[in-house]
Amino acid sequence: MTTPVRAVPAVRAGDRPGLTQRPPGFRELFLQLEYVRLVRRGVQDLRTRGRLLQYLVGTDLKRTHADTVMGQVWWLIDPFFSMAIYSVLVTVVFQRSIVDAPLFLFTAILPWQWFQTSLIDATTSVTARGNLIRQIQFPKIVLPAASTLAGAITFGFGLISLAALYLLYPSHLSPWLLALPVVAAVQYVFTLALAILFSGVNTFYRDVQNLLRHVVRIWFYASPAIYSVTALQGSLFKYVLSLNPFTYLLTSYRNIAYYGTAPDWVGLLSVLLLSLVLLAFSIWVFKRIETGFAKIL
Amino acid sequence: MPRSAYAIDVQDLGIRYNLHLTRRTTIKGSLAEWVGRRQRDEHYFWALRHVTFRIEHGESIGVLGPNGAGKSTLLLALAGILAPDEGSISVHGRVSSLLTLGAGFEMEVSGRENIALIGAFMGIRRRVMRDLTPSIIEFADIGPFIDAPVRTYSSGMRARLGFSIATAIAPDILLLDEVLGTGDEEFRTRSQQRIRDLVDRARAIVLVTHDLNSVAEYCSRSLLMEKGRVVFEGPTAEAVEFYKDRIRKRKAQVAEEAAARAAAGLPAPMSLDELTAAASEPGARDGDVLRAGSLDTLTSPGQPG
Repeated sequence: MTTPVRAVPAVRAGDRPGLTQRPPGFRELFLQLEYVRLVRRGVQDLRTRGRLLQYLVGTDLKRTHADTVMGQVWWLIDPFFSMAIYSVLVTVVFQRSIVDAPLFLFTAILPWQWFQTSLIDATTSVTARGNLIRQIQFPKIVLPAASTLAGAITFGFGLISLAALYLLYPSHLSPWLLALPVVAAVQYVFTLALAILFSGVNTFYRDVQNLLRHVVRIWFYASPAIYSVTALQGSLFKYVLSLNPFTYLLTSYRNIAYYGTAPDWVGLLSVLLLSLVLLAFSIWVFKRIETGFAKIL
Repeated sequence: MPRSAYAIDVQDLGIRYNLHLTRRTTIKGSLAEWVGRRQRDEHYFWALRHVTFRIEHGESIGVLGPNGAGKSTLLLALAGILAPDEGSISVHGRVSSLLTLGAGFEMEVSGRENIALIGAFMGIRRRVMRDLTPSIIEFADIGPFIDAPVRTYSSGMRARLGFSIATAIAPDILLLDEVLGTGDEEFRTRSQQRIRDLVDRARAIVLVTHDLNSVAEYCSRSLLMEKGRVVFEGPTAEAVEFYKDRIRKRKAQVAEEAAARAAAGLPAPMSLDELTAAASEPGARDGDVLRAGSLDTLTSPGQPG
């Protein structure tokens, strides 16, 4: 189809790193420059294609639950069901006495579900558009980005159900809840970084999408979602948790929404820095392999 | 001489497919390869190699050749969808190939929203797209369905909408892959008219076809491709003769082999069609991406018999 007019520097094979040989002597230096160039171009792709992102997000949101009677209401109902199940599991089966367990669980399950669905949807976002990729030239990086944005909006709607829960547990409300956008923003950057990486790699190795489901499930239990970090004092598992970014994210959510205390600022900042580094790496990988998508799909 | 004297300037173009990846191997298979491999050429299939040609503004060029010759890959490369692995392509002007967009539709949203979405994918400005939308809808002729989800459309409606979007903007450089047998008789007539309009307005045309009559009608110059290479470039009449000659020789050769086999008491060999089909490599996807329709639609009016 139509590609936008470009003031044409010729497209040359050598422009594509990874597919041709570089002069070995300058390899290190070249890689560095190339790295910066590709990351910048990836960011530029996202910034200049705002309208495409907007339409894609809209389409994504319409597609989920399109054929259901209750439609978008499922966004509110889904996390409630998970919360109910885990409430029963934790309080009845495991006999844990947690004060106001439903709220305790909900404050972690809601952001976790956002992460999980965003990541799984985004991972297949490129392969799902194979038809279009073979016909129109566009920056493919908008696809995982749109998936995660749609997930973020769904999460925003899910907050309505959190608000509803406060009608039952008003004593947990505190001004710290206003810090929620900050915590969510850190989580978003982390999710986006993984989404871009996985969607690119999944195009070449469809194993990623299968493996991911299992990894995410294990990850959930390795995160303090249905238990708290303090419950593990003295356990070696604590050290595993300390390596998990979601430990800091979920702890922060729980602090502001359940305990009414400050989020784990240091933990959040560390996760943010890690996410930004990961994001740059993901964009670089994605831009490097992007040119091969049309051949594979 | 500035480069821009040419609408398309292709120098030593090579495009290769990694056979292991196109086979959709899993990590396991790929690791096994990777452990024991030095990147050797046998891992690659060159769909195009050492392809060099130029098209001047105002020129129409035909691309001829059997299945698997790399014609469709060439169009994908000219459209910017496949990047060169060797050599260079420079294109001056807005390129458009008439593709079967129907397959890329988003099923759950309306036709109108799909128009906007595909416009955004193509990078067309919002205002331009807004101005074009009424005429796209009118040409697609799908009535009130335009606001219904595309999932409810018949295949004909999808094809009409896809064609209508694909042809909405007149490109400077038109890439044609033997379009287009879309829809019923009435729509086919209108779509032929529209293609003729685009052809008239385009500054350069690349026409890929098997139809030796249409190429003579449209293109003064032609390339003949075989196995990813240009084997002949020149006036269309000569290219066609050259091609026919190749086919004749090939047939004679096949017949000869058949006779030899028969004499030796071996089973009958494949027909020429089967032979060419077998020759088309997995990576080439010839006729897959840019779906081949009936060729004669392009050449009307005065359809050749």
